[in-house]
Amino acid sequence: MTTTTDSRRGAPGSTGKVRPGAGTGKGAGPRRRDRLSVQNLPGWMFSSPFLVLFLTFMAVPIVATLVMSFTDFGLANVRDPFSTEFTGLENYTRLFEDERFLTALFNTGYFVVLGVPLTVGAGLVAAVLLNSGVGRLRTFFRVGFYAPVVTSIVAVAVVWRFVLDPADGLISGLAAEVGLTSPDFLGSKALAMPSLIVMAVWRNMGTAMVLFLAGLQGIPTEVREAARLDGASMWQEFRSVTVPLLRPTMLYVSVMTTIGFLNVFEEPFVMTEGGPDNSTLTVSLDMYREGFDFFHMGYASAMAYVLFTVILAITLLQLRLLKDKTR
Amino acid sequence: MQPIPRIAAATAATTALALLLTGCGSGGSEQASAKDKQTLTVWGMGEEGKHLAKLGKEFNEKHSNITVKVTPVGWDVVHQKLTSAVAAGELPDMAQMGSTMMGEFIELQALEPVDEKTFDKGDYFPAAWNSGVKDGKAYGVPWYVDTRALYYRTDLAEKAGVDEPPATWDDQRKLAKAYKDEAKAEWGTYHQPANVGTWQTWLPFLYSAGGQLLDKSGKPALDSPESVKALEEYAHYFDKGLSRKSSPPDYDVVKDFGSGDAPMFISGPWIVNNIKDQQPQLKGKYATAPLPADESSTSWVGGASLVTFEDSEHKAAAKEFQKFLTETEQQGRWYEMAKSLPAKKAAWDEPALKNAPEQLDAFEEQLKTAKTVPPLAKWEEFASKIDEGVARISQKGESPEKAAAWMQKATQGLVD
Repeated sequence: MTTTTDSRRGAPGSTGKVRPGAGTGKGAGPRRRDRLSVQNLPGWMFSSPFLVLFLTFMAVPIVATLVMSFTDFGLANVRDPFSTEFTGLENYTRLFEDERFLTALFNTGYFVVLGVPLTVGAGLVAAVLLNSGVGRLRTFFRVGFYAPVVTSIVAVAVVWRFVLDPADGLISGLAAEVGLTSPDFLGSKALAMPSLIVMAVWRNMGTAMVLFLAGLQGIPTEVREAARLDGASMWQEFRSVTVPLLRPTMLYVSVMTTIGFLNVFEEPFVMTEGGPDNSTLTVSLDMYREGFDFFHMGYASAMAYVLFTVILAITLLQLRLLKDKTR
Repeated sequence: MQPIPRIAAATAATTALALLLTGCGSGGSEQASAKDKQTLTVWGMGEEGKHLAKLGKEFNEKHSNITVKVTPVGWDVVHQKLTSAVAAGELPDMAQMGSTMMGEFIELQALEPVDEKTFDKGDYFPAAWNSGVKDGKAYGVPWYVDTRALYYRTDLAEKAGVDEPPATWDDQRKLAKAYKDEAKAEWGTYHQPANVGTWQTWLPFLYSAGGQLLDKSGKPALDSPESVKALEEYAHYFDKGLSRKSSPPDYDVVKDFGSGDAPMFISGPWIVNNIKDQQPQLKGKYATAPLPADESSTSWVGGASLVTFEDSEHKAAAKEFQKFLTETEQQGRWYEMAKSLPAKKAAWDEPALKNAPEQLDAFEEQLKTAKTVPPLAKWEEFASKIDEGVARISQKGESPEKAAAWMQKATQGLVD
């Protein structure tokens, strides 16, 4: 590996060949020096804007929160950071006795387990339909499905509140027309979360759809043609040609959607504040409250790392389950 | 030869350091005198914040060298904004601060002590002055006081066959039921069921039942029989479908009061103004009354003080502005503008207060017996536990005993 890169770069001097006597243990020496050499200066310069931003706004906070999650950092420590005390794993053990946090964890799971498949499924169906039918209206529908993605959540919340309002909302109005009464969607413990899920699916399926559309266009027409000549029905073609060939896209879409949904914050924040009775309290929302309302930064950081671990585990699982097996 | 990463690292480190330094700017910077040309930044809260900008302009006419820049901040986000600002070192020069928040910011050492030679303790209501006192030092100049009383629709009450304000808890229950059954209102009343600020509606029930937030030794007293009784009374309205069990985050009760959907609620004196602005058709169709009594009719004293932040470089100008705002005559005018009750005793003799609209009488009456909310460093958290405790009876359907025990347990670690 070292040899090939070095020779390809054509660096002057003898780095091209492995010197006799330079044992494997010292292999890192010349490589490291080489990476930092003058030839690489432009490269470093080009990446410095990113590096500076990354280090300041990502790496430092990431490390800081990790450290903080083992301390009792609170509001009083803001002015006097050195009075912070290390508490070891106390934040983490407390978390798993915290009824609110466990509820939040459960709700987030509920949101993901129902929301992700629905979003991915709806996106896929919309993409397949748009890819095969509707002809000239395609752009119109594409914009229509994608518009919620780029709309501000506050605007979305206003519209959805109007739709879901039990007194003079759209749904209750329609229900009244046919002589039914609609429930108070956001005010009901059982219905609040499903309502948010429906809204999230509507809001996020556009992204999935656009990605699937791109993936669909990458499927060679010959394969489809062959399937059709073999007498495959629409459903068989979808199941045995489209879906397997879309696997890489599927993987990307589900991983990204899952990460987004595990971090769900905006929907409950603007629609319900986590209520009623904490039925829409999510981990991010609980973390926000602990962190910014009460300034329990240590405790909130611990929550963030628990969430991070969950996301990491689920993503690894997905990568494994949805691996591209066609190659 | 490794200049670049060093530079990158150095740049990053410098940037981080610069951020930290600007973030935690120390208070020892130079002070502008009251005569220098300067801009005074002020945060005003809720309705008051809107009116305060007007007074800032008037102040500027008298003191042309001081421009007052008022930023109105909603009450629902003010605590979070202030704590973030303390953390980021981006506090304004001065602010209006809710009485229940004083304890926390004193603890944080974010406030400048009041110059007690300029502002005389004896001029103000003791309850208001004391909400900002810690270890014998005052940190806020009381600006206005408020309390909670009952608002109810007289026209709908008449329709429901009730012609007197409810005097007891029993009367209140009956009126709510009559509103719903006889006057065909959507709900009988509005008691905030959950979320931030629920304690404000529930606390009058606790105080009227004879309960306290803290016992004599300073420990929470939320599992007392009085507390259970107050929760029971509160729960009644949800159990019987007389009050909605959930309300959206930015719910405005005035709207439902106007439409008749929620013909009764408990709130503060500023609502009189809100009704005048937003629901002018209600003129003469509603009234206020002292809180219906159990053991007594007891509300709590809230209000706001004017505070100067320790980091400010315009402390002298802030003092001038505070002097301007607490002048006796100004306090009378403030009452006219914002319908906030003056914290200065002498201001009660101002004509504006003597000719107050009748809806404010109930508040004046209520203020005589109202109790303070004890200043606690962790009040916000303490209050959020009450909010959740109340939500447990309104939304979870837990028994008052269980919810009271839960509140007691949850608040135990929050008092020192």
